[in-house]
Amino acid sequence: MLMNFDKLGAWRWILSGICALMALFLLLPILFIVALSFGNSRWLIFPPPGWTLKWYGDLFADPRWLQAAFTSAKIAAIVMVLSVAIGLLASLALVRGRFRGRAVLRGFFLTPMVLPVVIIAVALYAAFLRLGLNGTLVGFVIAHLIVALPFAIITISGALETFDPAIEDAAILCGANPWEARFRVTLPAISHGLFSAAIFSFLISWDEVVLAIFMASPTLQTLPVKVWTTLRQDLTPVIAAASTLLVLLTVVLMIAAALIRKGKSR
Amino acid sequence: MTSPYLHINGIRKTFGDVVATDHVELEIGEGEFMTFLGPSGSGKSTTLYILAGFQDPTAGDIRLRGKSILQTPSHKRNIGMVFQRYTLFPHLSVGENVAFPLRVRRAPQAEIAAKVKRALSLVRLDGFEERMPANMSGGQQQRVALARALVYDPPVLLMDEPLSALDKKLREEIQYEIRRIHQQTGVTILYVTHDQEEALRLSDRIAVFNRGRIEQVGTGPELYASPATHFVADFIGDSAFLTGELAEVKDGRATLRFNDGTHLADVPMHGAGARGGKAELMLRPERIDLSDAAGPQGASLPVTVEDVTFLGNNSAVTARTGWGDPLYIRLNFGHPMMGSVGRGDKLHVRWQPQDAHVFPKA
Repeated sequence: MLMNFDKLGAWRWILSGICALMALFLLLPILFIVALSFGNSRWLIFPPPGWTLKWYGDLFADPRWLQAAFTSAKIAAIVMVLSVAIGLLASLALVRGRFRGRAVLRGFFLTPMVLPVVIIAVALYAAFLRLGLNGTLVGFVIAHLIVALPFAIITISGALETFDPAIEDAAILCGANPWEARFRVTLPAISHGLFSAAIFSFLISWDEVVLAIFMASPTLQTLPVKVWTTLRQDLTPVIAAASTLLVLLTVVLMIAAALIRKGKSR
Repeated sequence: MTSPYLHINGIRKTFGDVVATDHVELEIGEGEFMTFLGPSGSGKSTTLYILAGFQDPTAGDIRLRGKSILQTPSHKRNIGMVFQRYTLFPHLSVGENVAFPLRVRRAPQAEIAAKVKRALSLVRLDGFEERMPANMSGGQQQRVALARALVYDPPVLLMDEPLSALDKKLREEIQYEIRRIHQQTGVTILYVTHDQEEALRLSDRIAVFNRGRIEQVGTGPELYASPATHFVADFIGDSAFLTGELAEVKDGRATLRFNDGTHLADVPMHGAGARGGKAELMLRPERIDLSDAAGPQGASLPVTVEDVTFLGNNSAVTARTGWGDPLYIRLNFGHPMMGSVGRGDKLHVRWQPQDAHVFPKA
């Protein structure tokens, strides 16, 4: 350790104070939204004059909100499955493969991480115009898959790199054919990486808004798009309620990811 | 003539221009413990991988009980293997690791339970079924790997430097375990190592690999007492090499002439060497004696003592030949020369005729 926290004296309190402020700064908007979703004012007033569950009632009574949530979940689920499947195959090639241009290919797979999302969105919009994919489920899935895949590849490659291929060889000599060895030994051994990749892919699609705005049509929109368009029309606290639920699912999934990592390192 | 149990028949393997193994020819008897000994890159591991089916030979054949196994894929060869690295399946318990080969063979549950118990008992890990590999020491993990490789009664067990990741004390402990398991099961073992002591301790016979070829095959004492090549002499045991010129070669015996004109006649010669060519005389420090008097022709050389170091149960003597090559001699405690020998003494080294060997020098 570079610094021993116990020996810092007065600095200890100053550093702790800065940490607390940072945490507050990051968390405040979220706490703000959660508080507003339970407030009984129509106008998003803070602090709320009283408390109510009315907005949650409105949210669940409005089929358009439910429709958007369902669309989001459906797209995120499909993206999750495809991202893990493609990410696994790509990682196998990148980690186990011995071919020219491997490093270049790896960099190419990761470009969506560094490219501004809005540029990807414009490019896809132009391309999908010709293909007639804008406003379709397929279009949504492709767009989200592009930004989710780099994260899946990084997590799965990471897990695969720490897995010694000699273990797979051992399984084959034990009598398992190569596919059996991969399914019964390699996949379970890197399952923590696969789960992490699945959760991240789901989350990336679940709260992605830039691409979704470009892809959305009046009949097909995701929850973040619905939040955004509603916000532009009126400032109903239903938005706060929807946002709170979005955050809740994200937090739950992040905790799940953290638990999986912890379980692996144990 | 009956065919040998396992016949490695003229195996050659090339990677591009690099020749990994060349004309590897070996017959292994049923139940034999055969060790491939050699430095890294000598082709011993490549030969083992070809047996395992992870690599295909460029030429040659491998026959088990007279039948070629080269067309059989790895997972159907039924061969057992313990790897250099830890290869237990990390998500499975010890019991399930050992059960794995039986499960993929669809063995009945009762048979699996009984065999797993027996295999773990063989490696002295009774009751470890529920343990996870991550919670075991390296030595324990390799013993589980051994149990996993033996649980389906393979006709051949391959071991690829299984102890190289362990510390010395643990290594010796497990070497004895491996010996006991070999005696108890009678399984045919092919063992790869670069450690000569390990090879000598474990093996019935040793095949010494160098540059993709087998230099010599024999029991430990055979390799030590009559090495066929310079490489084998150098790799097994300590040895001194004195370089001279071949003055005469006849009927497998040579006369050497050294730089100062000293002649040494009638020494057993290994390999092809022509008159006038360079050759080396090999002597083992523990097989040569120091004396006031010269020995019989061909088994004695005059030397000058340069240094004497007392080491407790023996003394290490450094001497120089007439032409300036150093020679090391070990005098055991109680030797008549011990105590009296000192710097600058002009004495003679002597040896038994069968202990000296001449190898042509390339």
